[in-house]
Amino acid sequence: MNAVARHLHHDAAPTKPKIGFEGVDVAYPTPEGGRIPVVSEASFAVGKGEFVSIVGPSGCGKSTVLRVLSGLLAHEKGTVRINGRSLEENRERIGFMFQRDTLLPWASVADNIRIGAELANIAHERRDARVAELIGFLRLSGFEKHRPHQLSGGMRQRVALGRLLAFEPHIYLLDEPFGALDAQTKIAMGRELLRVWSEYKRSVIFVTHDIEEAVTLSDRVLVMSPRPGHIVRDIAVDLPRPRDPKQLRKDARFADLVDAIWSELDAGH
Amino acid sequence: MTDLAQTAPALPASGTRRSLKLARDRLLVLVLILAAWESAGHLGVSEIWISSPSAVGERLWTLALSGELFVHMQRTLTEAALGLALAFAVGVPIGIAMARYKYANEVAEPFIMALYSLPRVALAPLFIIWFGIDLFSKVMMAFSTVIFIFMLNIHEGLKTIDRDLVDLFRTMRAPRALMLSKVILPWLAPWVIASLRIGIGLSLIGAVVAELIGSSAGLGWYIENSAGRLDTTGVFAGLVALTAIAAGGNLLVARLEKRISGWRAA
Repeated sequence: MNAVARHLHHDAAPTKPKIGFEGVDVAYPTPEGGRIPVVSEASFAVGKGEFVSIVGPSGCGKSTVLRVLSGLLAHEKGTVRINGRSLEENRERIGFMFQRDTLLPWASVADNIRIGAELANIAHERRDARVAELIGFLRLSGFEKHRPHQLSGGMRQRVALGRLLAFEPHIYLLDEPFGALDAQTKIAMGRELLRVWSEYKRSVIFVTHDIEEAVTLSDRVLVMSPRPGHIVRDIAVDLPRPRDPKQLRKDARFADLVDAIWSELDAGH
Repeated sequence: MTDLAQTAPALPASGTRRSLKLARDRLLVLVLILAAWESAGHLGVSEIWISSPSAVGERLWTLALSGELFVHMQRTLTEAALGLALAFAVGVPIGIAMARYKYANEVAEPFIMALYSLPRVALAPLFIIWFGIDLFSKVMMAFSTVIFIFMLNIHEGLKTIDRDLVDLFRTMRAPRALMLSKVILPWLAPWVIASLRIGIGLSLIGAVVAELIGSSAGLGWYIENSAGRLDTTGVFAGLVALTAIAAGGNLLVARLEKRISGWRAA
């Protein structure tokens, strides 16, 4: 039913995407003054409320795509649009999450989350309530006053997720956010993320090297070529939602999709 | 769901008993040193060379009663504290600028290092000529001995800053003021504390050296003046007062350190 509803929604939606990448080139400068092309002729689009993963071999420029979208890195060629606007004119809040938790080590759990609300210009009197709500939502109750070094890796990433949610982003850019976690915590965090996504319905770009994770979470999986990377395949994941990561693993369609993506990657392009 | 539930780890206990034992043993060492010093006088070492703890104590008592002790202590403390504060106020921004303007820093680096390696003590006569024999020349001496500590430490601290952390706040379009107050300055707090720790001793050196060379008050002057009259007891009394100032300063910094950078204990 969910899938049907989504299809109808897709048909009714205007063609203007939330995020548009058109023939984008990115290069890094070398110390000797040269340039290393990292991304070449990359094109893709992400619709409003869509969850899209990017997979590809190490160093193919997956993270670079996110860094360009977040404004941390300039592109050389092509056009990047958010809501139809260039990056300079973009007014949307972009929430970024790294593999490392990048919390303020001296600040408490609550303060780390609160800074997201502060940067989103949420009114002073509403911040405490919002922080408390997120701490409950992410099951961090009782840890409000703890510092990051007193928490496990999984909990630290949940605090980082809390800060991201407090920032109320219009777009989520997640750069292997659960890559450093053990398998079990990773699945638990994926479930958490889906819970967040189904509640807020924002556009998500999720970079990962874990293909099963990509299929579990996404509406579409983009496969990138080796460096200089571009998108070689755009694979729709038409598995019904809500999805349970553990049940999904027994589903034949799930296995087929994972196989299909693996063979794309092996093809090497 | 339960795989995410965890219990809060116990925070470390304060360990009061251990700190009491430590204080007791330190006091014991002090008493032993004083006893050895006192008995050296009775065993034939002339008091002209080493004075004695009782004589020094007596002198300090007399000086305290007349108020002279506090005049000199206050003078030296003021010089050192002003020099330290000035070095902080000027050194921290320069350290930040050194990290931010890399090329300018490269140009300036040999000059900075040359000045840093110069024994600043040798500047004291020049400072007396430039800034007179009053307070100002001593403040400038303290300042010149300490400022490099702040500059170099802050520069070093900024080099270690977590790039991902800074990038993350940039993606959230953090305004410059917030970036400074919420990310960069807290990051630098341990380096500032470390600089203060070294700076307290150095600023006292600067102030006292300038006092030795030309002044009419302060503990350095008192020590110099006593030595000129072969008054060893006076010299030691001055040294004890100086030590007390340095110890008090260190205690203050330790307090500050505990409050500000507990997170580094990780």
